[in-house]
Amino acid sequence: MIALTERSGTGTVPRRRRPDWRRMPVAPLSLLAGAAVWEVVGLLAGVPFFPPLSTVLTRLSKMVSDGLILPSLGDSLVNLALGIAVSLGVGLVTGVAMGRYRRVEAALGVYVYALLTAPSLVFAPIFFSLLGAGRGSIVAVVVMYAMFVIIINTASAIQAVPAQLVEMARSYGASERQLLVSVMLPAAAPMIMAGVRLGVGRAVAGMINGEMFIAVVGLGHVVTEASGRFDGASVLAVLLIIIAVALSAVALVQLVDRKITGWVPSTSRGNP
Amino acid sequence: MIEIRGLGKSFVGQDGGTVEALHDVDLDVVENEFLTVLGPSGCGKTTLLKCIAGLIPWNEGDIVIDGTPVRGPGPDRSMVFQNFALLPWATVLDNVGFGLRLRGVGRAEREERARSLIDVVGLSGFETKRPHELSGGMQQRVGIARALAVQPSVLLMDEPFGAVDEQTRRLLQEELLSIWEQHRLTVVFITHSMEEAVLLGDRVVLMSARPGRIAEIVPVPLQRPRSNDVGALERSGAYVEITAYLWDRLREMHEEHRPSEVAG
Ligand SMILES: Nc1ncnc2c1ncn2[C@@H]1O[C@H](COP(=O)(O)OP(=O)(O)OP(=O)(O)O)[C@@H](O)[C@H]1O
Ligand SMILES: [Mg+2]
Repeated sequence: MIALTERSGTGTVPRRRRPDWRRMPVAPLSLLAGAAVWEVVGLLAGVPFFPPLSTVLTRLSKMVSDGLILPSLGDSLVNLALGIAVSLGVGLVTGVAMGRYRRVEAALGVYVYALLTAPSLVFAPIFFSLLGAGRGSIVAVVVMYAMFVIIINTASAIQAVPAQLVEMARSYGASERQLLVSVMLPAAAPMIMAGVRLGVGRAVAGMINGEMFIAVVGLGHVVTEASGRFDGASVLAVLLIIIAVALSAVALVQLVDRKITGWVPSTSRGNP
Repeated sequence: MIEIRGLGKSFVGQDGGTVEALHDVDLDVVENEFLTVLGPSGCGKTTLLKCIAGLIPWNEGDIVIDGTPVRGPGPDRSMVFQNFALLPWATVLDNVGFGLRLRGVGRAEREERARSLIDVVGLSGFETKRPHELSGGMQQRVGIARALAVQPSVLLMDEPFGAVDEQTRRLLQEELLSIWEQHRLTVVFITHSMEEAVLLGDRVVLMSARPGRIAEIVPVPLQRPRSNDVGALERSGAYVEITAYLWDRLREMHEEHRPSEVAG
């Protein structure tokens, strides 16, 4: 009798407490685990090129306070931003033209695919000799890394726009420009943004590789110097900064992506 | 109002062969008429409608609307699509106002007209929803509102209720009737349902396939307005008789093609 009234009262039955895995903050836990592994392996290994995390962090804070990091980071970010800007500008326009016009695709497709698959760093010496050992060469390397994946995704995205939407817009008298701005670009946005995300990730790699090759400025320059001194702790300290830059850049793209493609129903996105 | 003379249309298939989708089609649509087009699958109904819409070119003949030859899409016509063709990123309000926006109507006027059409199709309160939040029937209401918002004199509908369930289809048919009774415009309505063709149409155009031709034009002797008692209308002798007749004709067409299919 008592049990009955209790149940009908609120309808809540005391549940046994089990750890709810879905509620666990996965990303921070994974980072924590990674840090622990690094620390332990670093301690056990005892080699100069893989010091434990604590040593690397101490070195990092010393490098920051010695003024080694921030100016280089600033230089690198400028290289990155310029490279991404050029890749986006040229990449989006080229990609849309290739996606929309068969003849443009026929003319440019072979170059785009060739340059997408070529190891981008082989162009560094060419830029180095053409543009000199300066920012221009590094930005050019970043563009070589980032632009082609943006072009190809944009072209495929435009080609994948449902024909029925294009036909609908044409039936209402849409001009070519209206078709592009009001139908094709919004419809293609999710896939274009996926390409931009890939491109930005590759841009960070391009920035570092370019700076290491054309070692005059930026974080890549710092890495090259440190590894020349066999200073493993400094190399890894800068690596931490680079990873932070890459993650922030991708997070920024995701933020923009969510603003632009917020309309995509959650059922057609991946699982959380 | 719409005069179609000797219309012929062939497609070039991927294998290089040509498919004659329409052959020597003559058709006159009277102003404010509700014309339904019925025929077996693949007989060229959609092709005919797209030619009238100015969406695809044709090989022979002429289409003239109110004295002007059709050369492409025009503001006098708008189309309702079987698969709705709504913009998935746009709200109901923006979808309904889309045609107006393409035609350069300013935001304030556009939204006012869109809201009044949303009211006409019974979607008030859903203005800020996006298509994926709506049922199929509601999505097609948006499609109809979008087509009406540009105030066309000809409404072209390609199996607009083909993708919604039976019950929703009946409701939409009744609502389309009452909208048409109030607004009065010329409608060319494609369907593969005999019942729908008879219930809605003033005349039923029967098409046959391979090549697509007009086999017969059957007047529907049911009185208007029809929207207030569809049930009684469907039990009337004239309704039963004419749907039976249409089915006889369609079955003949299917049977004509069967031997050749078996023979390969
Ligand atoms: N773009 C195209 N390219 C080649 N052939 C086509 C094309 N569009 C239609 N056809 C052919 O033209 C014929 C008529 O097609 P249409 O779509 O007009 O038929 P329909 O009467 O609307 O058929 P359904 O009832 O299935 O919608 C078919 O044989 C079809 O295969
Ligand atoms: Mg069709």
